[in-house]
Amino acid sequence: MIRIENLKKAFGKVTVLDGIDLSIEPGEVVSILGSSGSGKSTLIRCINGLERIDAGRITVDDFDVSNPKELAEARKRSGTVFQLFNLYPHLSALRNVTLAPVEVLKRNAAEAEKEGRALLESVGLGDRADAYPAQLSGGQRQRVGICRALAMKPRYLLLDEVTSALDPEMTAEVLEILADLTGRGTTMIFVTHEVAFARSISDRIVFLDQGRLLVDLPCETFFAEDGGMANARVAQFLSKMRKD
Amino acid sequence: MRAGRSIALTTARDAVETEIGFTRTVAGLNLIVSDLAPHIALLAQGALLTVEVCVLALAGAVVVGAAIAMMRASGSRLLRGIATVYVDIFRNIPFLVQLFFFYYGLPELGIYVDAFATGVLALSIAGGAFASDVIRSGILAIDPGIVEAAQVYGLSRRTTFLKIVMPIALRLSVRPLGSVLINLILTSSILSTITLNELTGSAKIVASQTFRPFEVYAVLLLAYASLTYLLSIAIARFHRRLNRGVLEAV
Amino acid sequence: MRYADFGPHDIVLLLNGLGVSLTLFLTTSLVGVVLGALLAVVRYYRVLVARELVTFVTEMLKNSPVLVQLFLVFFGIPALFKIDVTPFEAAFFTLALNTAAFVYVIVVSAVESIDREQIEAGRVFGLTRWQVLRHVIAPQAVAFATGPLTALLVNQLQVTSLISVIGVVDLTKVGDILNMRTLKPFIVWTVVGVLYYLAAKIIALAGGFVERRLTAHSAWKGL
Repeated sequence: MIRIENLKKAFGKVTVLDGIDLSIEPGEVVSILGSSGSGKSTLIRCINGLERIDAGRITVDDFDVSNPKELAEARKRSGTVFQLFNLYPHLSALRNVTLAPVEVLKRNAAEAEKEGRALLESVGLGDRADAYPAQLSGGQRQRVGICRALAMKPRYLLLDEVTSALDPEMTAEVLEILADLTGRGTTMIFVTHEVAFARSISDRIVFLDQGRLLVDLPCETFFAEDGGMANARVAQFLSKMRKD
Repeated sequence: MRAGRSIALTTARDAVETEIGFTRTVAGLNLIVSDLAPHIALLAQGALLTVEVCVLALAGAVVVGAAIAMMRASGSRLLRGIATVYVDIFRNIPFLVQLFFFYYGLPELGIYVDAFATGVLALSIAGGAFASDVIRSGILAIDPGIVEAAQVYGLSRRTTFLKIVMPIALRLSVRPLGSVLINLILTSSILSTITLNELTGSAKIVASQTFRPFEVYAVLLLAYASLTYLLSIAIARFHRRLNRGVLEAV
Repeated sequence: MRYADFGPHDIVLLLNGLGVSLTLFLTTSLVGVVLGALLAVVRYYRVLVARELVTFVTEMLKNSPVLVQLFLVFFGIPALFKIDVTPFEAAFFTLALNTAAFVYVIVVSAVESIDREQIEAGRVFGLTRWQVLRHVIAPQAVAFATGPLTALLVNQLQVTSLISVIGVVDLTKVGDILNMRTLKPFIVWTVVGVLYYLAAKIIALAGGFVERRLTAHSAWKGL
């Protein structure tokens, strides 16, 4: 379980996260919504230890991410997929997927490769395993990014606006794969702008506004008139997103 | 080597070749060609030695440069300081002085190595100062997101550096490292001052044997210029090929 | 050798050598900068053939070892033209030309960095080619070229050490003499190295100072 208690984070004088409390149980799919600058991405970056937190506590299966000794264990349990893919440009798709399993989990190279190929196959990239990131389309790159995360067999998948750099067609192909994953019981924390998609896959919706956690409700309740929509900020956000 | 031409001249001074032929009858370019022809083998040997020295020195410079660049990027103040001083010193003292320091100094330390090894060493050390700048900018050009990805997947600092940062930085550095190589080639001519008969050293021998220093050094100058020119074209091509795709993704 | 150890006179010797190095450096830099800039102006005026010739010669000088250039001038020219050339003359001639080649390239790229529209605007307002050069191009080009020029000069100071090979008694040659006499290479070459290093630092500082003044002056132009 991921437990976040009274998390605070500021960049200089700008407070980005202001006292967040949130727990995520294994098997849950939680979407984090909020307008740009609400601190959604920073929240993800705090969970995977890319940002040092100012106050509060984050544990992943009881491993404290602020403790350098426990961070490695915490990171082994979560996999991150990035908005801008961040693939290793000098490695083939397959090597992007197998690098961490071999180097970090000390997996046998041949075995890791076999599993990597199977993963790429499962996202429709079986024939592109030896291509370099630059030779792939954005959607293909993000599918490699997802495989790279899954290859570590993470308990928690952290998805940071994984479709916002993609055009609609590519977005669709990536979302399809994510929908498929939810069906298999992977725990996902999904920072997104895709409200409709979030609604279709999530168990819970968390709404951030100006660094504060405003609403944390089961998915259906969140979209109900007397549930999340009763909150003026949420209503405003959703109506704006619908217009786009 | 022997052309068996009209006059055979014995020189006491030059130990390498005792007998050479040269013609004084033909004028113009013909003269240069026929005069130099018997010495082509010696010059070729010298050129080969230059290539050997420079290839080894480039490898040395890249290793030293990568180490220094790594130190400059490290968290330790001491390491950063050492690296900065290293670059500053070896970039601001003439190579000839550095070379003499090692050539005359190493035996004092009981290290007896030949001119070839001394030359490669000195070129590697001086070249490393330049290579470190190049590699450092290669490292700085890498998208931080790529390093973050390596971090969140639990790659150790060492692995991240060796398998992610360095390979990308070196790819991005091919063209500027090519300039370092060209500089090494030009600088390697200075090794002739410590008795190494690389291209310039062997040309010196030929010049004193033929008594045609102007022709010899003019040809030598042309040879260096065309060599480095062709090399720069080849490097630019190689850089483009190697970074096809990598650059835009970085 | 009877007087193998260092003596107070060696300091005079070193300072003499340093003086020779700096004299050659300063004079050849001056001639090189002026000559290189002049050649760049020739290019600007588009004189027939001159441009190609200058490009060829500068490329040759930039892409061949200075040592070979020194040998060509010191050993080659006297042999070909049957004239006497002293080591100092050969050193001066070679270094000045070599510096000019690099200066030429720096100045040309500095001029090319200037907006074409500014030059055209100047011409449209009725300025002559010379006036455009004097009032529009030169001030900006100088500011742009100061950084690369400083780097070049720091490098050219080091290049002067090569003239010791053809027998000029510069700082390096003095080092050579002291090294042979005292057989204390570490001390000798460290002292020589430090002197070169300090000279290089002074040049770099001076260049930085000039650059700051020039760019401060032209900051409002958006440079």
